[in-house]
Amino acid sequence: MIESIGASVRDKASRFLYALAFFGRVVDRSLRFFRRRQVGYKVLVFQILFTGVEALLVNAVMAMAIGAAIIVIGSSLLPQFGQSRLMYDIMVIVITKELGPLLTAFIVIARSGTAIATELAGMVVGHEIEAYISVGVDPVSFLVVPRVIGMVASLALLSIYFNLFGLLGSFLVVQLIKPIAFAEYFQSLLAALAPGDILSGMAKSLVFGVIISTVASYQGFAIGRASTEIPVAGIKAVGQSFVLCIFADVLITLAQYA
Amino acid sequence: MKFRMRHADRIVGVFTLLAFVLLVGVIILMGANQRWFAKNYTYFAQFPTAGSVQPGTAIFHKGFQVGTIRRVSLNEAGSVDAEFSIQDSYYHLMRTHSLLELVTSPIGLGSQLLLHAGRSLEPLPEESYVPTADSAEGQDLIELELVDIPPKDDTITRLLSNVNPLLESTSKTVTTLNRTLTELNRALAGQSEGPLGDIITDASAAVARLPTTLDEINSLVVAARDSAVTLLDSANVIAGNLETMSASFADPTGLVTTLLDPKGSIATFLDDKDALYNRVMTMLLEAERSVRSLREISASLSAEMPKLAVVLEEGKTALVSAQDVLEGLKNNPLLKGGITEREEQDSLYSSMREGAFE
Repeated sequence: MIESIGASVRDKASRFLYALAFFGRVVDRSLRFFRRRQVGYKVLVFQILFTGVEALLVNAVMAMAIGAAIIVIGSSLLPQFGQSRLMYDIMVIVITKELGPLLTAFIVIARSGTAIATELAGMVVGHEIEAYISVGVDPVSFLVVPRVIGMVASLALLSIYFNLFGLLGSFLVVQLIKPIAFAEYFQSLLAALAPGDILSGMAKSLVFGVIISTVASYQGFAIGRASTEIPVAGIKAVGQSFVLCIFADVLITLAQYA
Repeated sequence: MKFRMRHADRIVGVFTLLAFVLLVGVIILMGANQRWFAKNYTYFAQFPTAGSVQPGTAIFHKGFQVGTIRRVSLNEAGSVDAEFSIQDSYYHLMRTHSLLELVTSPIGLGSQLLLHAGRSLEPLPEESYVPTADSAEGQDLIELELVDIPPKDDTITRLLSNVNPLLESTSKTVTTLNRTLTELNRALAGQSEGPLGDIITDASAAVARLPTTLDEINSLVVAARDSAVTLLDSANVIAGNLETMSASFADPTGLVTTLLDPKGSIATFLDDKDALYNRVMTMLLEAERSVRSLREISASLSAEMPKLAVVLEEGKTALVSAQDVLEGLKNNPLLKGGITEREEQDSLYSSMREGAFE
């Protein structure tokens, strides 16, 4: 039993160190990506297309729904306490700083994280990675780095769109339920919005992008030879990405408010 | 090949560019709305604690944000120095006697820093000190009504803000009342040396003298009444004389005119060798004689009064008889029973006429 525990710890530590080394390699290759103008640029564009553009609709619907819910609840509940202005602060905190980046990350994990993990796992099972290596193409530089950069860029852009749809698009939704004056809403919202809020959301999106893409790539490369491991890689990528994103969100939030 | 695959670069470019444009637009609007490049006017204030006053705390005036707390620091005296800025569009609110008020929600809904404009028209120079409502200077400004304080938005806060002055006023009133009652007690006990004690002592002495004074007043009233009656009688006599005199003056043939005529009775009266005087004396004597006779007649009449009474009594008896006759006539017109014989009774008195004709 002790031997099995020891073996498990060694295995975990080995995997963790491998993951750290993999992450270091991804960072190193990512820094060289724009200088070398590799063909991976096309992969980057497609990654942004798949991760960012195609997720925009879901992202927008979710943002408007959450924003509308906050406006309706806030405009009904907060005036009873004489704190109507808090509605805009709550909207900024929820949409821009907290839920916006996190929900965007969840959407991307569900859509693109699994896609990256299963795609890379399929390439591993199909010996495509070995083929790249055999012809002198670094699989990390060609396959992982465009996906990481594309994922980070997509999350950052989706976060901007989430804010716009959540803060402004929700206003249009609310007009159908409970009309409020646009000028007052817009001015109060801009007064409540601070550059730090936008930077905080952007920072979270960047961190989440790095986490999701790295975890998905790592899990994709981490499978053995069996095709049955491909879905397992996708599941692991999703689970680990969720946990790490939430953990990172807590750390960043604590760093902001501490 | 799908459309999105063929135009992936364009789609991603638009997606990226649009996001950046919108982000920059929002930042520009945010900067314009939050007045990042507008001029602000700096002022200073002092607070007891920095609990609810932190850098970035908004300053409101009638629900509008007019400024922000920039910096707070603890000074050597133990109070908190605060530097705050007022937006240039609200600079007109910064007048002499303006003050800050930190309003804390009684139900734990946070606090709000309010700016109240002074009623003076003189603008407050930049970097001046602005007192708070809690400070002694601020209290003076409020009591002297030199600052315009609008009613609070929150009902509970408004009620509580009214309760405090009421309690303070009540406390002051009770203290004053206690002091007054104590002073009154001391004055009533004769221990006070103040004006109230003097008044109470004087009042007590006056009350003690009151019966004597009332007696004196009664005597005076009686004397005054008698004098008034006498005076009224005299005044009536004088008025009668005046009336007679006025009638004499008014009559052109009267005594006065005749007397005042140089050729009239006075001259004759003065030059008649006592004839008129003698005549007058004679008349007076005759008048005296007449009066004496009149007195004798009166005395005789007094002596005859009993007889007159008898006559009257007889007259009364005759009337009773007449009444009986009339009653008999009324009861029996045929005079069946006739009239009852009545026994005559002589009067106890003898009449004057009977005596005279005896």
